Amino acid sequence: MIYSLTFLIILANYGSVFCYEGSIDEELLIKPLQSNQVYAHFQFSTKWDIDPEKETFRHSSLFPRPIGELIQRFDIQELHVTLTGGLWRYEKWGYPVVDAATGAEVLAWFKPGSDVDTNWKLLANSLSGLFCASLNFIDDLNTIKPEFSFRPRGVVDSKFINSSHVRYANLPHEIVCTENLTPWKKLLPCDSKTGLASLLNSGHIHNTRYHSVGLHLRPVCRDKSCESLSLELQQTVSLVYDYLILGTKNWSLRKLFGQGVNRKCVLVNKSDIYVDTTLTDVELEPAPDKTVTSIRGGQTTVLQKYEVTNTFLNIYAKYQNADVVPLNLPPPLHANQYLSGYGQERGGIVTKIYNNHWKELDVVLLQNIPWFIPIYLHTLKVVSNGKELKPLQLRYIPARQRIRPNYLEVLLRLPARTSTSVVIDFDYVFLKWQEYPPDANFGFHIGSAVISCYLPVAKNYTAVPWDMTLISDSFNASRNGYLVEIRTENLIITLPTPDFSMPYNVICLACTVVALAFGPLHNITTRKLILKSNKKVQLVEKIKKLLNSLSKTKEE
Amino acid sequence: MKLAPLDITSNIDNTITKYTNVKSTKILRTLQLFIKMSVKIRAAYTNSISTSRIIFTCLAAVIVRYYLMLSKYQTVIANHVEVSTPLNSWKRVSEGLYLISKNINPYEGDVLHETPLSLYLYKNILLVFQDRIHLAFITFDVATAIILFFTTKKFNWDLFVEEENNKETFAKDAVECFLKPEKLFKSSYYVLLTYLFNPFTLFSCVGYSTTVFYNFYLAVMMFCMVHGISVICGIFLALAASVSFYPVVLILPVTMYFKYAIKSNFKIIINLFSFITTSVLIMLMCTDFGKDFSYIRNVYGCILTVPDLQPNIGLFWYFFTEMFEHFRELFIYAFQINNTILYLVPISLRFRKHPFLLTVAINFIITIFKSYPSVGDVGFVLSVVPSFPHLFPFSQQGFLVGTMLIISTSLAPILYYLWIYCNSANANFYFGVTLSFAVAQIFLLTDLLFSQVKRDYMLKYGKNRKIDGEEGILCLE
Repeated sequence: MIYSLTFLIILANYGSVFCYEGSIDEELLIKPLQSNQVYAHFQFSTKWDIDPEKETFRHSSLFPRPIGELIQRFDIQELHVTLTGGLWRYEKWGYPVVDAATGAEVLAWFKPGSDVDTNWKLLANSLSGLFCASLNFIDDLNTIKPEFSFRPRGVVDSKFINSSHVRYANLPHEIVCTENLTPWKKLLPCDSKTGLASLLNSGHIHNTRYHSVGLHLRPVCRDKSCESLSLELQQTVSLVYDYLILGTKNWSLRKLFGQGVNRKCVLVNKSDIYVDTTLTDVELEPAPDKTVTSIRGGQTTVLQKYEVTNTFLNIYAKYQNADVVPLNLPPPLHANQYLSGYGQERGGIVTKIYNNHWKELDVVLLQNIPWFIPIYLHTLKVVSNGKELKPLQLRYIPARQRIRPNYLEVLLRLPARTSTSVVIDFDYVFLKWQEYPPDANFGFHIGSAVISCYLPVAKNYTAVPWDMTLISDSFNASRNGYLVEIRTENLIITLPTPDFSMPYNVICLACTVVALAFGPLHNITTRKLILKSNKKVQLVEKIKKLLNSLSKTKEE
Repeated sequence: MKLAPLDITSNIDNTITKYTNVKSTKILRTLQLFIKMSVKIRAAYTNSISTSRIIFTCLAAVIVRYYLMLSKYQTVIANHVEVSTPLNSWKRVSEGLYLISKNINPYEGDVLHETPLSLYLYKNILLVFQDRIHLAFITFDVATAIILFFTTKKFNWDLFVEEENNKETFAKDAVECFLKPEKLFKSSYYVLLTYLFNPFTLFSCVGYSTTVFYNFYLAVMMFCMVHGISVICGIFLALAASVSFYPVVLILPVTMYFKYAIKSNFKIIINLFSFITTSVLIMLMCTDFGKDFSYIRNVYGCILTVPDLQPNIGLFWYFFTEMFEHFRELFIYAFQINNTILYLVPISLRFRKHPFLLTVAINFIITIFKSYPSVGDVGFVLSVVPSFPHLFPFSQQGFLVGTMLIISTSLAPILYYLWIYCNSANANFYFGVTLSFAVAQIFLLTDLLFSQVKRDYMLKYGKNRKIDGEEGILCLE
């Protein structure tokens, strides 16, 4: 009896060890943008209070197990994956909560001492399976190790911050669709049946101007003292709805997502909806639970807070004066990228960075240019309002054909209120005919440039501070700097094509020319010049001769 | 004026035969030859071109080049694929030098295909000429022309002397195909003119292609070859070979020249020795004494495996664009063997008596079939052709070759523009032009070699072509 009691106690103790310590919070930020769009950002944050170093990831309850397996198998320190369709227009829309490049983008930090290159390839393949995306096309041809642009977002021993542990790749031609969203939703504890996730209906997501699905994994401090670590997984969805597509400026949850929130997911800690009403004079129905005013980095934001309960919730926003268009104030820093030149021989990649701030800004420009665009570093020109700028730092690893891309990172100090263009020339390459895709004349993508900067003001800024997790943490969270990682447009370049229909002809013709040299040279070198009778032998005589010789041989 | 020295010769001949009136002894014959020669030398000098004329020609060439280089057409010319290939474009050299200045190994990327030695040379040339880099190109180009002038002058003189020596062995009625000194000694001036003013070399120089330096090495090599300066010949052959690899095979014709024209086995050994020593030294210098072999992949790897398929005037680019992947290796071997060692031995054996022609022919084969030829290479071999005026009467395809060269040269940039900029043509158009350009060069080469064969026949058997009382035809059998 005593034995069985002790056994029970031991079991209970073990039970407390296995007991899940963590939380999941879901938030939705709805922000009418200054132009004719409304921005909806979903964030599902799972925090797991375990030591990422020691955990075996065999058991998990709220935390998705496939992600745990990835961490354990590939020695991941930090992982950021985004799948994006459409382009975020910084100039008109300000900064999003999470920056993402058009197409697929993967950034991973690996634990020191692991076999980074192998793990990176395996990770890409696993993610490809996990999200049903073509992330398996990530290989040496499009992977770079940026030195300045990215820093770990989570807690890390600073002596291990080294570009040899980071890998970054983007697949600009990746098309994001429903098939990527479904597996992504499966990672949530309540799936998409209850809670905010029930708003994510594929049909209403993919008719937006911009949609981005993301997954961000990082170790964070468990509490203020930061004596122990937790693992944080953020799953985000960013959507930009266009009023023109919606047909009206007055939006509602039902209009945007097809349905309202049914009830709260029981596993979730906090389930909140915030509606930004700073710029617009809008009447909300039902009335918000709370009004939050946030003053952050010189910008005041007014937000209406709704708490999701077990009753049905559909927020309806009605504009008081639909004709009022708010003045568009461009954010302190934004950028564009385009191709210059004409024809298919020589061109240039131009990245134009606008500094609208009243002070100079230090930015890092990162370019990941595929190998089939050989760039000339000596043509790199940074011109700011007619004056040439000298890069503060420059990192360049030239491309190798069919092996690795061009990696270029430039550290610039942009003068106040200027537009700076960074121009670099390249040559158009002629590929082998089997290297062209089936739609060869569609062109090849060049991924977007990444411009990172610590902004001194939080104008048009919505991102969550680094040391925090939730959107609600970003209220009144003034810091010394606000990190933005601006992604520019993708480029399409049409390389000159050969004639795909005639490999045989080309081989035959070129070999004929070689034979034209071989024939005479062979004759000249192996034969002797002799004088020959010019008499033409008649055909009849030839036959006679032949017959004669034949009859002779018979007689013999 | 011109007839006078020849008259004197016949007079002397008569007097010598009159006075001896016995079986001419060996000494007398030598004397006779010597006197003949001295008169011929005078004839040669009176007929050859005055120095002022040469200087004037060079000055004109400098002015034309200088004008074009400072005009807006310089970039247009430099950007043409016919002028600048991945191997010789100055833009890539600038990139390489810039990368070095930024402490980035230029051989890590694919842009640079020049050897470290060449880069070192260009760096110093830039230091000497500062911003006036065009002057460096003009200097080297004109120097090449002058060296070629003296090379062919010496070659023609040697040719003439040899023929004078062997006149007895020739057929009696072959007189009309004997060398005509007044024509022969003018030919080196034509070489100078052709080099300085043919559009191929002109554009190559104006377009800052590094073929200018390569041509300079080849010219010095040939100059030393005909003058029998075996040490320097080996050094410059090694330099040329280090730049473009293919000239390695020229070691055979050079050896042939020392063997059959200069008749000195010692010089062969010296030449070989200096070639090998210089090659090893260059290799040591380029690899930073065995530390860094990365340039080999970029320079020789690029020349031999043709990874860059940018169009040029050669045969490789489209062939290997359209090649099936599993046959690529086979055809790379086939094409590289074709332009290096396939014709090397047979031609060397057949034309061992004409080692200068042999050198030119092998250089010509390299130019036609090399992986990244540019017009600078073609211009170089074309400008040596005028030094064979004695072969022209036997050539049959001069008109055809001339027409093909002119038409394909003028069509190439047009069709390239239509393909790349207007999108109204495709790669096949340009490919067709490069094919005809190659065919023209091949016809010129085979015509030249065949002319030499025919001339040899003529000198040996005379111009009588009667067989059994009827007109016969000459053919190879």
